[in-house]
Amino acid sequence: MKRFTMEEVGWTPRIPPIEEATATPAQRAALDACPPAQRGSAYFRTLANDPGSLGERGALFNTVMYAPRGLPRADREFSTAVVSMANGCVYCTSVHARRFADLSKQREAMQRVLEEGHGVETDPRRRAIADFSERLTLTPGAVTAAELAPLRAAGLDELELLDLVHSIAMFANANRLMQSLGETEAPG
Amino acid sequence: MDDLIESILGIAPGSPLAELRRRRPEALQHAQGAYRELLMPEDPGNVSHVERAALALRVALRENDAALARHFRGLLEKAGAQESIMLAEDLSAAPMEGRLAALLRYADVVGTRPAEVTQGTIDALSAMGLTPRDIVAVTQLVSFVPYQVRVIAGLRAMLDEGAAPAAAKEKAA
Repeated sequence: MKRFTMEEVGWTPRIPPIEEATATPAQRAALDACPPAQRGSAYFRTLANDPGSLGERGALFNTVMYAPRGLPRADREFSTAVVSMANGCVYCTSVHARRFADLSKQREAMQRVLEEGHGVETDPRRRAIADFSERLTLTPGAVTAAELAPLRAAGLDELELLDLVHSIAMFANANRLMQSLGETEAPG
Repeated sequence: MDDLIESILGIAPGSPLAELRRRRPEALQHAQGAYRELLMPEDPGNVSHVERAALALRVALRENDAALARHFRGLLEKAGAQESIMLAEDLSAAPMEGRLAALLRYADVVGTRPAEVTQGTIDALSAMGLTPRDIVAVTQLVSFVPYQVRVIAGLRAMLDEGAAPAAAKEKAA
């Protein structure tokens, strides 16, 4: 797992991103629907080549990751870091591991998961979230009600469970976009 | 509101899961919106609605989601696109020629081995006449079906819990 890090990782698009100065009204509107902190990034400007899909997908991403109440934001970030590891997306892993560490102040725990995998996670809630995140990512067709039991035991309610499913699914999407449309610059 | 995921899972209006999903109205609205923009956009650029449905069918098959695959196959049947169905459903390694075959191979690599995409993969799409907008649209499409697959799988598990969740919650509390 040595390749995963929470340090900043570079990403270079494989097609030209939209420049804000020359964006069409449709491209600008689509970027405005994305999370404010990220809409200027090369990644979102690359997606802006197709404003129709970015507008809807950006708004979907926004609500899945940031909608109030339900699953705490730190849990969403932790889950998406684990999903990104399972999908081998070094860039997404770095971003969401870092956000989890910032939100939870559990930097060492996150670092351990990055280095050794989530099997070393001892916090029962995070362990249940990580196990389910990996299962739904790698073998969605094999997930049954039995897999929800550890999450229920860890105290997740209905809305938190729905938010978790949405977060995991969102990164099936994000990891594929990120790995296809650009080159991740290996850290170190 | 039409909701593809609800129709596939047979989630009844007013049922507990339908009500739960309505606590995240934007997730419903924009998942359906992304589906519409990716499968049947008003201006599809150089990637037709039939090609888009064929790509979605291919990803759903690779993900072993029979219900979702049936839905995309239905879109192609409605369009009378039998040849596209045959191509999309041919999961053998037999070499296939032509534009749709090349797009399906791109769907395979993004859908199942995205780490293997290279600059050469993208440049080959450009050489086929796809614009940057087309390339983003196709990549968004074949990356969105995996989102649908996992929402469907997660919700199906929640449906299968049946009446159990309330009891489990009490036990946990």
